[in-house]
Amino acid sequence: MAELRAAVSGDSAQTPVVVAGGDRDSRFARRMIIVGATILSVVALVAVFAPLLSPWGETEIDPANTLVAPGGNHLLGTDGNGMDIWSRVLYAARLDLGIALAAVALAVVVGTLLGLVAGYFGGWLDDVLMRVVDIFQSFPTFILALAVAALLGNGTINLIITIAAVNAPAYARLVRAEVRSLRELPFVDAAITSGASPVGVLWRHLLPNSLTPVRVIAPLNCGWAMLTLAGLSFLGLGVSIPEAEWGAMISLGAADVVGGRWWTSVPPGLALFVCVLGFSLLGEGLQDRANAKRR
Amino acid sequence: MLSIENLSVTIRRPGRQVAALSGVTFAVRPGEVVGLVGESGGGKSMVARAIVGLLPGGSHATGRVLFGDSDVLRMDDAALAAHRGRGVAICFQNPRGALSPTRTIGKQLVDRLATHQDMSGDRAREAARELFEAVGIRSPQRRLDAYAHELSGGMAQRVMISLATGCAPDLLIADEPTTGLDVTLTREILRQFRHAADTDGRGVLLISHDLASIAEVCDRVVVLYAGTVVESGPAAQVLREPAHPYTRALLRSVPDVGGRPVVATPGAMPLLTEAPENCPFVARCAHADRTCSSRRPGTQPIPGGREWSLACFHPQTRPLDADLPSTSHTPDAGDAQPAAADPKPAVLEIEDAHVVYRSRFGSGGHHALRGVTLRLAPGETLGVVGESGCGKSTLAKLVMGLVAPTSGTVTVAGQALVKQPGRPRPRGRALRRARTRAQLVFQDPIGSLSPRRTVGDSIAEPLRAAGLSPAQREERVTAVLDRMELDRSILQRYPHELSGGQAQRIGIARALVGEPDLIVFDEPTSALDVTVQAQILDVIADVAADADRASVFISHDLATVRGFADRVVVLYLGRVVEEGPVDVVFDTPRHPYTRALLGSAPRLGGTAGADGEAVELVKDLEEADAATGCPLAARCPFVTDRCRSEQQELQSYGESRAACWRVPELPALIGRQAVTP
Repeated sequence: MAELRAAVSGDSAQTPVVVAGGDRDSRFARRMIIVGATILSVVALVAVFAPLLSPWGETEIDPANTLVAPGGNHLLGTDGNGMDIWSRVLYAARLDLGIALAAVALAVVVGTLLGLVAGYFGGWLDDVLMRVVDIFQSFPTFILALAVAALLGNGTINLIITIAAVNAPAYARLVRAEVRSLRELPFVDAAITSGASPVGVLWRHLLPNSLTPVRVIAPLNCGWAMLTLAGLSFLGLGVSIPEAEWGAMISLGAADVVGGRWWTSVPPGLALFVCVLGFSLLGEGLQDRANAKRR
Repeated sequence: MLSIENLSVTIRRPGRQVAALSGVTFAVRPGEVVGLVGESGGGKSMVARAIVGLLPGGSHATGRVLFGDSDVLRMDDAALAAHRGRGVAICFQNPRGALSPTRTIGKQLVDRLATHQDMSGDRAREAARELFEAVGIRSPQRRLDAYAHELSGGMAQRVMISLATGCAPDLLIADEPTTGLDVTLTREILRQFRHAADTDGRGVLLISHDLASIAEVCDRVVVLYAGTVVESGPAAQVLREPAHPYTRALLRSVPDVGGRPVVATPGAMPLLTEAPENCPFVARCAHADRTCSSRRPGTQPIPGGREWSLACFHPQTRPLDADLPSTSHTPDAGDAQPAAADPKPAVLEIEDAHVVYRSRFGSGGHHALRGVTLRLAPGETLGVVGESGCGKSTLAKLVMGLVAPTSGTVTVAGQALVKQPGRPRPRGRALRRARTRAQLVFQDPIGSLSPRRTVGDSIAEPLRAAGLSPAQREERVTAVLDRMELDRSILQRYPHELSGGQAQRIGIARALVGEPDLIVFDEPTSALDVTVQAQILDVIADVAADADRASVFISHDLATVRGFADRVVVLYLGRVVEEGPVDVVFDTPRHPYTRALLGSAPRLGGTAGADGEAVELVKDLEEADAATGCPLAARCPFVTDRCRSEQQELQSYGESRAACWRVPELPALIGRQAVTP
């Protein structure tokens, strides 16, 4: 042992000194992205193939078996109307995922356009648009969603508009801030002196470069959108029974849970949880990766 | 004191490996200033990191970094903590960024003294005041209570030096301490390091990309290339008779105010993945033969040179200037004069233009340009020089129609590009076409390209406004690519995939493609590495020589302007203080400010400044508003009451014009100034 140590120290200058670290953060971010994307792919597949995976129809009633416990004909039992919980949880993925994605897409498009215009032209246009955004953002998100939903009434399209309206201001602000800092960079001056029109500068130069933060925020936002949707449905302002939607199912089963029939509300709750987790992991992962790149 | 022995650092990360240093050996003794010189990617910063024990994650290091008796590479955390601060201290390149923005600089200095020197609060404050005085900060008591953002760049660098020297380190490392500082300040800051070595016996390691500018204060220099030491030796000798072809290339790439032509070296520094088996410079070297490409030259002492050693099979022995075509500068400077007299319509006309940036809050504003009048004929090249804040960039923006004059007029090819009093401005497509008549080449080559558009797209941008078809555009783009000596495959790439030199060629290609009447070069080489700078200057000289086009070349560096401008304009605080044919202004400067600028510019051959003739300006003023009187009044050593009260207009003195009434008396005054101290 002593000999060995002597041999090592004798040549110590040639023994490499290794400094650990360097990329642990980005590895962790990659794992988050992979897990999140996997969860979401599974949910998407379930939504697409719901008819094949469910033994019962979305609104099919088994009148003889209301509120039966999991097992037998009904994998996760039935609710008070005799509808199969397992089938409805699977079917609900369609509506939840669809509305959340559509609402965020709409919010991104509208918010980005407003932010681009406000950020680039500035002046009174900027002032007016941003004050409107301020008004929207001065209410607690969910209260605002309640108010808009109550105003517009039920229906899938109205829900999409409601959730988009609540989220669009954040994108407008984000893109506006990005455009305002990009506008000071030399490549924008280069485009202007090269004779590009204002629309050309906005569309070909500022838009593609201002979308980076949007790409990171949008997945996180999908999770929030889904929670908002479920919350509205829970309060009866969203999807109406008998259509399958997780929030509505939780609401419907709430009374039964008190009586010990947990299977009415817990499965849709878990589905919602897993789905939101998927979006969060994906979003956080993308955010960390973007930050790591910036460093 | 510091002895680096055969230091190699390889950085291994998933997917890439970089041999940052390969067998670096050199030493720094107490009281000695050693310059560590090379271009980016050469390994300068990695050496500094190794000395303070801050190698990046994924590093594999072999060799020794001996500080006293202990090896920094193998120190434990406690030993490192003591080593940093008391053993070694660093001054960073960006001093304002290295100071905490939310605490006063006094507190930061006192904290450091209290931690490392165990001083009590009062004693530390007293010591801090003395440190500030030592680095030449006037009214130190008041400065202690300042925040980082309240300091000018030069002042912040002095604070950094006092922070670094405060704990009495044995070794002071300065990483590019003067990059971004004006020439008149650079020398002053460098002298502070010389002072630290002379008075306190510290060792100083001065890291820089610019050999000529630091050589004056260095005892010895070490030249790095691709992570290897190619040459090291006494500063004066290396500067005068560099023996390694790379050192020679480095020195020749830098233009000199004396008018010595720049010689560009093709190629770029290789990015090594493992320690090189051959000479790393072989691909760019004019003297390379088969030996160079098969074996790596060992480090050999040069006979006769004290501690002068070099790693090259073909040492060059002649003085640097010997193998150059004899000095006399560009012959076209003479024949450009008749061109100016031609009755051709001016490409650019600026009449008494003022630009005021209004402050968003309150009524104040920044008066960036104060009555500038310029006229530029086709084929002419105008150089614009001045220090930061003199209004150079505002002038570029004014010409390009990116800012509107507050008063006065600007026209390019007879058309106004922005709203200005009393002139119609084209609108819509006509305006867009008019804009393409003048093109700008930017200081930040990569930042001036849209990050998410391909290079091909960016170059073709001016052709869109002209309404050319895609086929026509492609034809023009490939033609201009050929002129820039770029391969067509580059068209599909994105800006982040380009090197600085490539990106600047793309920027010039974009400016040229629409065949404009005027090209403005706004500090086009200041963000580039030294040898790349020389290549780009070659390209620009070629473009500026086009007979049917006028060029404006803006630079803080007098020497680059001398290379190819016909006329030169010197700006100070938004005013033209001197104007004239380039050789006349450089050889017989009239205005005290021009004299000071020329005196501070580094010259090769060790004779810095115009021997004794240099005008020393008062340093570091809080910028006074020079609305009345001469803008230089607060800094000029020859100031009188008349200077303070009377606005100075440009007056003819021989072939050039200067805005100073004391010009005729100046030679005598300067003579007296040189005697008095």
